[in-house]
Amino acid sequence: MAPHSPGTDQIDTLLWIGFVVAAIAIVAINGALIYAVRRYRGARDTDPRQVRGGRRTQFRVGALLSLFAMAVLIVSLVYTEKARETPTTGSAGLASARSEPLRIEATGQQWLWRYDYPNAAFSYYKLVVPVDTTIELGLVSTDVIHTWDVPQLAAKRDAVPGKTNHVVFRADEEGAYDGQSATFSGQAYAAMRTEVDVVSPQEYKDFIAEQKAGIQAAQDRVVGLIKEGEVP
Amino acid sequence: MSAARPEVVADGFSRRRPRWVELVTSADHKDVGRVMIVAALGFLFIALVEFVLMRLQLAVPENSLLSPVTFNRMLSLYGATAIFIFAIPLALGFFYYLAPLQIGARGTALPRLGQLGLWLYIAGATVLYAGFLFTPSEAGVNPLAPLSELAFLPNNGVDAWAAATGLATLGFVLIAINLVATMRKMRAPGMAWRRLPVFAWSAAIGSWLLLMIGPVMLAAITMLLIDRNFDGIFFADGSGGAPLLWEHMSWIFFTGAYMLILITALGAIAEIVPVFSGKPLFNRGAVIGSLLAIAVIGTLAWMQNMMTAPIGIGWMYFAMIMSLALIVPFGLILFNLIATMVGGALHMRAPLLFAVGAISMISIGITAEMVHSMVAVSWRLHNTMDATAATHFALVGGSIFGGFAALHYWFPKMTGRTMGETLARFSFWTMVTGTLLTFVPLFFAGADHGQVVDAYKFFDGTGVNAENLIATVGAFVLAIGILLTLANGMLSRTGGARAGHDQWGGDSLEWFALSPPEPHNFDVLPDVRSDRPMRDIRAAIANRSRRAERAARETQPVA
Repeated sequence: MAPHSPGTDQIDTLLWIGFVVAAIAIVAINGALIYAVRRYRGARDTDPRQVRGGRRTQFRVGALLSLFAMAVLIVSLVYTEKARETPTTGSAGLASARSEPLRIEATGQQWLWRYDYPNAAFSYYKLVVPVDTTIELGLVSTDVIHTWDVPQLAAKRDAVPGKTNHVVFRADEEGAYDGQSATFSGQAYAAMRTEVDVVSPQEYKDFIAEQKAGIQAAQDRVVGLIKEGEVP
Repeated sequence: MSAARPEVVADGFSRRRPRWVELVTSADHKDVGRVMIVAALGFLFIALVEFVLMRLQLAVPENSLLSPVTFNRMLSLYGATAIFIFAIPLALGFFYYLAPLQIGARGTALPRLGQLGLWLYIAGATVLYAGFLFTPSEAGVNPLAPLSELAFLPNNGVDAWAAATGLATLGFVLIAINLVATMRKMRAPGMAWRRLPVFAWSAAIGSWLLLMIGPVMLAAITMLLIDRNFDGIFFADGSGGAPLLWEHMSWIFFTGAYMLILITALGAIAEIVPVFSGKPLFNRGAVIGSLLAIAVIGTLAWMQNMMTAPIGIGWMYFAMIMSLALIVPFGLILFNLIATMVGGALHMRAPLLFAVGAISMISIGITAEMVHSMVAVSWRLHNTMDATAATHFALVGGSIFGGFAALHYWFPKMTGRTMGETLARFSFWTMVTGTLLTFVPLFFAGADHGQVVDAYKFFDGTGVNAENLIATVGAFVLAIGILLTLANGMLSRTGGARAGHDQWGGDSLEWFALSPPEPHNFDVLPDVRSDRPMRDIRAAIANRSRRAERAARETQPVA
């Protein structure tokens, strides 16, 4: 899965570093283990020397391990801090989101995501955002804990009832990105998916206008029905 | 040699009651420990059935073998069984059987408390599976509030879960109290803390750890029960409660339990490797200190499970620093174990084979866990199959490979018979193949494609079809391997080759007792002079017979 946001770029790099370091560590440990077993097995009759390691060896090994841990820690801190940086809206992005990010509220509920855009438009399941624009999703939940996870665009974050969590991203390419809720939330948890459509700023404006018109039409229809007495 | 002191030997008094009545009413630490180990292994079988069923459901995309509700019940039962009903009691069973023997005690300090602990655990297991009579929990492995609240799961499944795990945890705490008291007060003359066998140290550290984390879980479970049954608001948002509170409390317990399982396994391995290498442990102090460090630092890393929760970045960095600090103690233990083998004369019997397998699996699991603790990586991999694979490598390595190493090693002591060697080898290699086949593909399903955990199905076109199919095949292979060892144990209990009292030439005092040990453990309490008392005793016996021979030769008339 190729990253499509500055933050996920950093996450991807750190993941690769971690993968390589872990692979080397696993091969080294198991290599030493297998070597020791093969080299010294079956020498049953010999009476091995009763050697014990001194304190100095332990300090040396401990110091080496500490250095390794420090190196991993520093690399992780650097990349995590980079991944946390808030990107700024680029030239191809939504003009109105230049100074501060486009704020959209994402509400998790069993088992669907609802997105509330500025200007009172909303959509279910599908989030539509303009390309090259900084988006700040405010994650809330109306029932249980959910996790908003679109791995190509952003770090995953939990929507916990009573708290607001934030996801910031800037999609660099138009297209559709799949996501799935990543915290067990009951029966239909597996089907709780979402999709992010990254479109041009003009298409985004059209979408918002269309949603608002649709919502308005639906409301008018309900109001009409109430007036006609069909809905009590 | 001085004349032996007069001893009262209570030997061979007749049993008036049937054997099983003796066993279930006994407060003897060996009977309690044995029942606990056997019960835990029985529940391992049940956990295995649940695991294989879930893997079958996930064999192909959008499978409909199990309904979502059935899958969620399997998942909840599997989680509770694997942790509360199998892994922790197995560890405690070995501690409870062996630690008093290893410190040269004739029993435990508070035997009835330990017995109560065992039966609370059995009661918990019974409640959990009695849940089948009404409804098992559907709240997942860790029933996160508010999903576990009455509003979202109104049937009594979660109550059964809470009662079951609560009873079991209370039992574990009671056993831990008895172990701490025993280790503190009942060591044989000369058995200073610095001479305590590494496994006995594991028992002491593990018991202290349980005394820290057990009450936290008990409190959380009580709060959950109050929330569900008495209109409580501990975990309800908006009325002064907080869903995050459950996360903190439960993760403190689960993280501590993870460390407890690894401490037990590494302690057992640190007993087995020196004995089968014919060398002392490379550096005892470093290994014991590292076990202690794992208990403290490891448990402090509980927020590693909450890297996506709305908590401050500082807490995430704190969890990461604690997790990465674990590199030092884990690395030191692995270094010392391998250094013990180097230059030794490896006796490649089943206990060492399983111990080596456990070291290998644990090394993969904790290394993957290290990657998960890097904050930004966790933002990608949290709750994916990659996390499942990492946890299972560490816990299957610790609890099953490590547990089986301990089982093969101490089986002769417990039953007076050895486990079949051929079957053990066959089982070992099947298990290794099964573990790798099951969990290596899941690493990739999680890391490359973001497949999420706990879901009853996955969708076609998400690129994880092959990984899941291989994992399902692997689960069957792993299950067969584990069943072979369980069968081996059952067959060997009565049919195995007779074992000696000091079957492997061990260093610690349990080998000074008979196999199986008498109810009072030792006729003569040994006088401990070093950290390898059994070796000293063997040397003294050899020395004495040599001296007797020489004396006999000298009194022979010269022709």
